Amino acid sequence: MRRETERALPFPTRLARVVRRIIGAPDYQAYLEHCRAAGHPPRLTEREYVKEFFDSKGTVGRCC
Amino acid sequence: MKRFGAVLVWGGISALGAAAFGVLALSRGETVNAAWLLTAAVCSYAVGYRFYSKFLASRVFGLDDRRATPAERCNNGRDFVPTNRWVLYGHHFAAIAGAGPLVGPVLAAQFGFLPGTLWLVIGVVLGGAVQDFVMLFCSLRRDGKSLGQMAKEEVNPAAGATAMLAVLFIMIILLAVLALIVVNALKASPWGLFTIACTIPIALLMGWWMKSWRPGKVGEASAVGAVLLIAALVGGGYVAGSPRLAAAFTHGGTAITWMMVGYGFVASVLPVWMLLAPRDYLSTFLKIATILVLAVAILVILPPLKMPAFTSFASVGTGPVFAGKLFPFAFITIACGAISGFHALVSSGTTPKMIARESDARFIGYGGMLMESFVGVMAMIAACTLDPGVYFAMNTTPAALAQASQALSQAGFVVTPEAMQALAARMGETTLVARSGGAPSLAVGMAQIFAGATSALGGKTLDALWYHFAIMFEALFILTTIDAGTRVGRFMLQEIVGHIWPRFAETSWYPSVIASSGVIVAGWGYFLYQGVVDPLGGINSLWPLFGISNQLLAAVALCVGTTILIKMGRGRFAWVTAAPLAWLVTVTMTAGWQKVFSADPRLGFLAHAASLAGSTDPNAARLIFNDRLNTFVALLFMTVVTILIVTSVREWWLVLSRRKAAVVHEAPYVETGYATGD
Repeated sequence: MRRETERALPFPTRLARVVRRIIGAPDYQAYLEHCRAAGHPPRLTEREYVKEFFDSKGTVGRCC
Repeated sequence: MKRFGAVLVWGGISALGAAAFGVLALSRGETVNAAWLLTAAVCSYAVGYRFYSKFLASRVFGLDDRRATPAERCNNGRDFVPTNRWVLYGHHFAAIAGAGPLVGPVLAAQFGFLPGTLWLVIGVVLGGAVQDFVMLFCSLRRDGKSLGQMAKEEVNPAAGATAMLAVLFIMIILLAVLALIVVNALKASPWGLFTIACTIPIALLMGWWMKSWRPGKVGEASAVGAVLLIAALVGGGYVAGSPRLAAAFTHGGTAITWMMVGYGFVASVLPVWMLLAPRDYLSTFLKIATILVLAVAILVILPPLKMPAFTSFASVGTGPVFAGKLFPFAFITIACGAISGFHALVSSGTTPKMIARESDARFIGYGGMLMESFVGVMAMIAACTLDPGVYFAMNTTPAALAQASQALSQAGFVVTPEAMQALAARMGETTLVARSGGAPSLAVGMAQIFAGATSALGGKTLDALWYHFAIMFEALFILTTIDAGTRVGRFMLQEIVGHIWPRFAETSWYPSVIASSGVIVAGWGYFLYQGVVDPLGGINSLWPLFGISNQLLAAVALCVGTTILIKMGRGRFAWVTAAPLAWLVTVTMTAGWQKVFSADPRLGFLAHAASLAGSTDPNAARLIFNDRLNTFVALLFMTVVTILIVTSVREWWLVLSRRKAAVVHEAPYVETGYATGD
């Protein structure tokens, strides 16, 4: 199901999504898709989502 | 027929790997091509992945794709997200690969190319990749819990507290060592300092772009950042060529130390989006791209290795880069690339929350570490393509060089001052002598490989630009580790003090943020400063401390992994983690003991302090204090880990002798909602 949804996306969007996940960047569209699939309205606006994402990012270290 | 074909293929790969190792091991005096080293490594990785990781996945861990992973059960569209295994492989690799696999092999090259390469290859297949895989598996079965939480639940609360304390101390030493590498690379280098200084406003611009101006537009911000980064790199050449500007960006080690300390403090206090996250994105892009280009460049030119298989320093222990014999010091000098305790923090961090199915853990955990080891092998190649005389002149302080001059002459590792001056001029530097820390010599090696590759492709050889590109590449992700490490250390300190003073644990309360950031920065800043002013070069004392601490953290992870395997009723397979654990404990405890109690003043902290007693040197009192402090730190690491091992062994005995019920704290089994093959 998840793969079918992603395959339906245009190639540049899919590529951007892959890069975002590799580097650990926020992806609001993926969050909206998740909310749609889960059957509830999004709890966060894009600004709130980005803010929360960055707040949690700082708690994880990088390896040596 | 299919089985026969597989036997033929894997038999061929094994034979090829064995032949390559044979060529490397039997070379005596003649030049060996890097192709043999690459072949030996790649064949070993292939066999290790195909057979050993499969055994671990199916027989030891019993990975089950019918079991829903935390990413599926707790999917929130943010940190818990089922992710394609190739994408997650890239994400995990970007998180585990840092300066360690690049610098460690470069330093260990003083023993020759063979010991380090063998440890990189054998260590990763039987130890490092196993540790990463087992931690990933354990965290995956526990909703992505951290190493400390697992130690607390599966061993006992004291073990959890000990693990947390160990991580905090190790973090401080780690940050000091990494900062020292940057300081040694940037001192008296206006080109390097200008380029790295520019990354700060570039990161701030990117942060504002993706947070306020165009929220979430990381791609746009990164593209702008990359263009500005290249402009800064090219601009650095003009700065170095202008006497007035060059003077403004030419500073000694002590001044750059203070800049680093100030930077670390500010980066820890500022919001993540402003500096840390954009720098992290830039360094991730640069890291992946540079490693790929380096791999291609090495494959294109297949450089000959100028360093011999073994040097006399392996058996005598009087190496000028760092003191000590091959055993145990080769095994703690190369940590990342062979086995690194820090990976346990990543494998029990973000990665387990993104795995879509359990079987992916094999590819990501075990396979990701194999790739890091390959990076280590490339660093070894880059270092060993240098003329040995150049390598030792770059990685040795004048004092250490004077002590080792006879041994270097006997080995034929000599270089004239004129040759070093010519090399420095070619790289756009005023000098490359005594640039210890591994980064500059790696950068020269990389620059020669890149320049060789571009020359083979018909391009111009731009040695100076490639050299400073390599320095920027290394410094950028070291600074990212310093940013993130200082912040994580600050959170840990806030949590610890918060048990006594709850207000202090509030991560957004600025007095607490400033005080805890100040303490962490002061901690690593002190060790950094003592490393910078150390006449023998701080790498001699700090890198072994870092190696010991990192390997002891791996011992903590393997202790927890062994405990969990025993509690799961897989005690008969506990050797997969217990064997590397036993090796690591032997190596690190021996190294720790020698660093503290060796009678050789170059090796033992206490002997060095004793040799300074009564000295007229005005710095003697400070150096004696530093030796005693290093002694305390080494003994502290060893004590903390001994406590954890003793408590773990007690737990194993209680469970195996049925005096205690084997209770594992796994998340409940939930069947996956994904169809097979989804």
